[in-house]
Amino acid sequence: MIEIKGLVKNYSTGQGVLHALNGVDLKVKEGEIFGIIGPSGAGKSTLIRSLNLLESPDEGIIKINGKDIRNLRGKELMDFRRRIGMIFQHFNLLSSRTVRENIAFPLEIAGVPADARARKVERLMELVDLTAHADHYPSELSGGQKQRVGIARALANDPQILLSDEATSSLDPESTEAILDLLKRIRDELNLTIVLITHEMEVIKKICDRVAVLERGKVIEEGEVIDVFLDPQQELTKRFIRTVIDYSLPEGLEDMVIKGDLVRVTFKGESTHQPFMSMLVKKYQIDANILYGRIDDIQGIPFGTLILELRPNGGSINTALNFLEEQGLVIEVLKNG
Amino acid sequence: MGEILTYLGRYSHLLLNGTLETLYMVSVSLIIAVVFGIPLGVLTTITRKGHILPNGVLNKTLDGIINIGRSIPFIILMVAIIPLTRAIVGTSIGTTAAIVPLAVAAIPFVARVVDNALLEIDPGIIEAARSMGAAPLQIIVKVLLPEALPGLILGVTLTAINLIGYSAMAGAIGGGGLGDIAVRYGYQRFRVEIMVQTVVILVLLVQLIQWAGNKIAKFFDHR
Repeated sequence: MIEIKGLVKNYSTGQGVLHALNGVDLKVKEGEIFGIIGPSGAGKSTLIRSLNLLESPDEGIIKINGKDIRNLRGKELMDFRRRIGMIFQHFNLLSSRTVRENIAFPLEIAGVPADARARKVERLMELVDLTAHADHYPSELSGGQKQRVGIARALANDPQILLSDEATSSLDPESTEAILDLLKRIRDELNLTIVLITHEMEVIKKICDRVAVLERGKVIEEGEVIDVFLDPQQELTKRFIRTVIDYSLPEGLEDMVIKGDLVRVTFKGESTHQPFMSMLVKKYQIDANILYGRIDDIQGIPFGTLILELRPNGGSINTALNFLEEQGLVIEVLKNG
Repeated sequence: MGEILTYLGRYSHLLLNGTLETLYMVSVSLIIAVVFGIPLGVLTTITRKGHILPNGVLNKTLDGIINIGRSIPFIILMVAIIPLTRAIVGTSIGTTAAIVPLAVAAIPFVARVVDNALLEIDPGIIEAARSMGAAPLQIIVKVLLPEALPGLILGVTLTAINLIGYSAMAGAIGGGGLGDIAVRYGYQRFRVEIMVQTVVILVLLVQLIQWAGNKIAKFFDHR
């Protein structure tokens, strides 16, 4: 659907050249919600704006449905942009227009006749549940309502792709939740492909299928959200995950008298159905003591960590750990006894 | 009371005429200034760096023209463009002739007011319009002007009041109007009571215009 290769964008500033994008490669599949996360200044904003050429990259390829878009100019570019919706952190609604008129705006631009336009606007207002506020101005709406107008407006010309630029970053937690649910619902109902940027891991955890971690203009880690949560490779990724899932050892654990090996086991989905604890004891002759555990879920898939104290009782710890890894569990030895 | 009324009545014809002349000069020159000043201001804004049609050379040129136009004292401008006035109106003397220098002075003023009002618009809104595939002309007509409307109305109000001030100098080329009456009767012939009356009318006029401008701007302001 979307294929990005070797994307480079530099800005010349007073102090020299700023490398906003430093060779970004990405693939986004049709129908997925693809999240790009990174700290501020990582190049997220430049990257998402390159997808509809609000920013023009210096080097690289952006293919959408197999077609390189980077050479689009003039009318071709405007037609192309009409097929991609975009929503923004600060909503960017026209203050001089009511809800209804704001949603009609992209249709006016595309030259849709007035009667068809009015019908379409009514349907869109129903979709985002704003019919009751049709004649209100944006200044009379809450943040969540404004973003719903933004979403309806972005969907007006039936785009295949929706770009979301920190769409929930200025919303309160409740509205964030509602907007994320709405995005997921419209993806399912309209078979949209959504590319979003965020600095909040919560957003990735809640609605994204796949995630890319961006740091200093480069993708440093990429994969299915659940896999990245299960086994993050990069320090930055771990830091982001820690913001939503507390990985730290409970207080007092370090002071406890630990005789055996201290091991952290992380698991997801079906691997948790294996009775691995009892197998450790029976088959591998290891005494296992659960010191700490927590279970979370990522979009319905159970996901958890256990901290075990393992002591050999006739068996070998290493053999046992190999067995656990074969079960698809992620093992991290915190301390050798 | 009756005495005052008779007294006022003696000059009412003179003052009424002056008021009408002022209104005529100001309104016609204001309309001309708006017609030319808005496109000039819009063009200046959109050719700025990072705006929808960036063009450094054109932007600097327009910006320079506006600054020069605004820095020439009105009384000098009025005399300097007499040939132009004669070419357009056929004469350089009279109320209609005064409209030409008034409009010429107000065009760069309106242009700057428009430029400032358009720059107030959140760049995010313009970006959103671009992301929807809006053409530059659509952005100007559907985004920039409507979003800046309250600011534009206040700017035009400001221009109208400035023009009332300028129009007082139009007496120098026989333009007439309230300012001219104040100078000729009040200042040159020591008729203080006439001068006071014209000034009172001018003050009321300015108050009325500002009040109406504020009301209209507020009506269109949904921010």
